[in-house]
Amino acid sequence: MNCQLCQKELDAYREGLLPEGMRVQVENHLGNCIECAESFHLVSLSYQVIEEERRLRTNPFLVTRIMAGIEELAQNRENHQRSPSYQKVLKPLLISVSIAAAVFIGVMFGNIYLPTHPTNNLPVEMTYMNDAALESVDLFSQL
Amino acid sequence: MTDSEIIRQIVKGDRDMYRKLVERYQPMIFRTCMGFLHNKDDADDLAQDVFIQAYQTLAVFKGDATFSTWIYRIAVNASLNRIRKSSKNQFLQRFETVFGGEKSKEFSFPIPDSENPENILILHEHREWVQKALNSLPENQRTAIVLSKYDYLPQKEIAEIMNTTEGAVEALIQRAKANLREKLSALRKKNKK
Repeated sequence: MNCQLCQKELDAYREGLLPEGMRVQVENHLGNCIECAESFHLVSLSYQVIEEERRLRTNPFLVTRIMAGIEELAQNRENHQRSPSYQKVLKPLLISVSIAAAVFIGVMFGNIYLPTHPTNNLPVEMTYMNDAALESVDLFSQL
Repeated sequence: MTDSEIIRQIVKGDRDMYRKLVERYQPMIFRTCMGFLHNKDDADDLAQDVFIQAYQTLAVFKGDATFSTWIYRIAVNASLNRIRKSSKNQFLQRFETVFGGEKSKEFSFPIPDSENPENILILHEHREWVQKALNSLPENQRTAIVLSKYDYLPQKEIAEIMNTTEGAVEALIQRAKANLREKLSALRKKNKK
């Protein structure tokens, strides 16, 4: 038996599906060929890994978690169905009113902080300045 | 009480009846998810998502296939979607690992204390190879082998779940086994160098 044929029959050998003659040939080959023996070890290990993963149990609270998730979903759906007017009319209305209120409050606060008295930054001389008596700019343009 | 009787009652509004379906199918669905993800916490989360998704679409379940076939289909699709998503995020995960971020939680098998450390290390490495080899199989081969080896489903049911013929399932399983063997040998050779 060559390595190629042995590798091909490894699964069937592991599962005990080979006829007697073939089983003996595979066994003899595995006894002499390190490569195929290692392959067989890995194939067996892969099924061992699968078996170990299969034997794992679910989280004991999985059912409770699922039922809680479903309850929450159903609750959301009921709330959604119960208040279609809120979704369609009241929600956009509330958003518009909130924006308008925010703008109004902003303008109002802005006005509150406007200085009620003239600022003192203006020099006194400027206050008494008679603009009408000043020379017109047109005079300069005619020069 | 049969599945269809339970479903009829749930559709009528008896939510609590769904608990019976969950209790009946959760070990199978968990095993399927485990077969794809190889991580207990992820498989638990995914099984939860599968049952919630199934509940949401229960009203459209026509009963053409059995409930078990239907929920297995949901589980397989959800698992494949999860894998596709996680492979997209792999780059980011590697980046996080390199720069000291939180390592992704990998499932590790309980190892007997009595074995010597070198053997434990080798065994652990070999298990990683097996998971890698299983993960690298094409989606349809992987689905066939998971349903066959993790859930022990007959080929007829696997064929219904995968929407194909029994012959095709048989071929997929044989190819998956051959691929698994080749990939394991390749990993062994690569690690020997």
